[in-house]
Amino acid sequence: MTTATTNLRPAPFLRRYLTFTWLTLAIAAAIMVFEAFANPSLVVNTLVTGGMWALMAAGLAMVFGVMNIPNFAHGELFLLGSFTAFTVFSPIQEALFEDPSLTWLKVVGPIPGMVASLVIGAIAGVLLEVVLFRPLRRRSREQWVMNTFLLTAGVSVVAINSYRLVVGNDYHGVPGYWTLPPVDVFGVPISVDRLMVLMIAIVTIGLFALFLQRTRLGRAIRAVSQDETGAQMAGIDLNRVFVLTMGISCALAALAGASLLFLFPAYPDVGLQPLYTAWFVVILAGLGNVPGAVVGAFIVALLQNLTIFYVGVGWVDVLPTVFIMLILLFKPSGLFGSAVKGVWEQ
Amino acid sequence: MSATVPKGRLLDVENVEAGYELLQVLWDVSLHVDEGEFVALLGPNGAGKTTTLRTIAGFLKPLDGGISFRGRAIAGAPAHAVSRMGIGYVSESLNLFPAMSVGENLQVGANAVRDKAQIASTLELVFQLFPRLLERRDQLAGTLSGGERKMLAIGRGLMGSPSLLLVDEPSLGLAPMATVATFEALKALRARGVTILLVEQNVNTTLRLVDRAYVLEQGRIVLEGTGEQLLRNPHVQSAYLGI
Repeated sequence: MTTATTNLRPAPFLRRYLTFTWLTLAIAAAIMVFEAFANPSLVVNTLVTGGMWALMAAGLAMVFGVMNIPNFAHGELFLLGSFTAFTVFSPIQEALFEDPSLTWLKVVGPIPGMVASLVIGAIAGVLLEVVLFRPLRRRSREQWVMNTFLLTAGVSVVAINSYRLVVGNDYHGVPGYWTLPPVDVFGVPISVDRLMVLMIAIVTIGLFALFLQRTRLGRAIRAVSQDETGAQMAGIDLNRVFVLTMGISCALAALAGASLLFLFPAYPDVGLQPLYTAWFVVILAGLGNVPGAVVGAFIVALLQNLTIFYVGVGWVDVLPTVFIMLILLFKPSGLFGSAVKGVWEQ
Repeated sequence: MSATVPKGRLLDVENVEAGYELLQVLWDVSLHVDEGEFVALLGPNGAGKTTTLRTIAGFLKPLDGGISFRGRAIAGAPAHAVSRMGIGYVSESLNLFPAMSVGENLQVGANAVRDKAQIASTLELVFQLFPRLLERRDQLAGTLSGGERKMLAIGRGLMGSPSLLLVDEPSLGLAPMATVATFEALKALRARGVTILLVEQNVNTTLRLVDRAYVLEQGRIVLEGTGEQLLRNPHVQSAYLGI
């Protein structure tokens, strides 16, 4: 009893905050503040792409934490979202070309495509769980992480090539969602597309965090990720939680694909770069750590945009990866992971 | 089956055989718990006490035999369904949610309860039984001491308002003081009409506490009786009480 109470005393202020994690965060924040004055567009790009990587990475981290599945087909949900949004938005865009006076359509036009991508993404996630993971789980939980890794990597290859077969190799993109004049933010002109995408990211992540923290189902999801047996003892149906988790995760990835359609047109392997980035983020933050993944997404986006701005676009996958490897050398469990969480018990 | 169930019978385990893969642990185990009773399952290490509880709680499918709860067959039902039917289970390893606060752990325990007033009154009962948990309400479960973790596990089990609580070795790994506190809490629960099936190795204390007890040895029930009867039983005295 006595040892336990002494352990509970918080560490002194300096030792608590002068850690590697806080140092990294402080440096990232300092760079953001500096660049906000020097190159505001870099900060805007960081926030926009960071928000979308956060949507991707949060879902990836949640699926790993709750279901122990390293989902390498996550990028194809990004593709599914971008193609769905393209399909829904194209006729709206044409209507706008023919009659540019439809101001209301200019404002709300992109929303149906995004909602559709959310719904289709959720359906795809539920199907993945029910058709693939559940039969595999029923058969065997041995080598589960390796098996699901191979399974999802296979799904990714099949999905990319099916898309190629059905839709083709063409790029399906849009020049922009909101054809409205740029908005001035602190004297810096920012395109409405970017501003809206940032808003979508903030609202979605906020709602997602509230859902996980404050609702019965959100708590059930977190309970399953921390102790499956304990969750069952509390009357939580694991299968339901798995369906819900996959559905939400895939819906978020599809929403990211839809939102970034004006930067990433839909084509067969458009999902690979977002997939790799999301994995960088999840590994950097610590496997299975959802809030960590959100913060990590912005750090990775900052690294990418600094590379693009100061070194060149060709290095965008190289330098951030090197930085992440350096960070992992000092903190192998990731910035926010004290230990690898969410491994099947027994 | 329900026609032959005596009145007040809550749990009926009939001729259950269970085990893991190639190893059968339970052989023809039969026991029953009536409404409001405090029953213990005693026995040495490896006798199959935990396996019995796991089988009742739905974490293990019996190979043979039947389990019924309030006359309904539950053998083979998934664990979450058994929990929702009103069987709370406090496992040996507790299975708490370490990264959640004490309050959140209790809230998850009430996951299957929709009535907010009922949740609030059960929460009050838990805090009355374990004032310690109220003090530590916002602390993460992973930072609690061993005794506090036991209290939280029992509290979480109570949050689902079970009509039967299965408790696996609450005294395991606890300091004597904490053990006494845990037994006091079980006594208080019983006074409030909660039916308890308790697994213990602490034979002397347990037999003074419970209404009835079973002795399990090598996967078979070898003795059954009231606490007093078993305390006077020569086999129990020589094997467990060192008299």
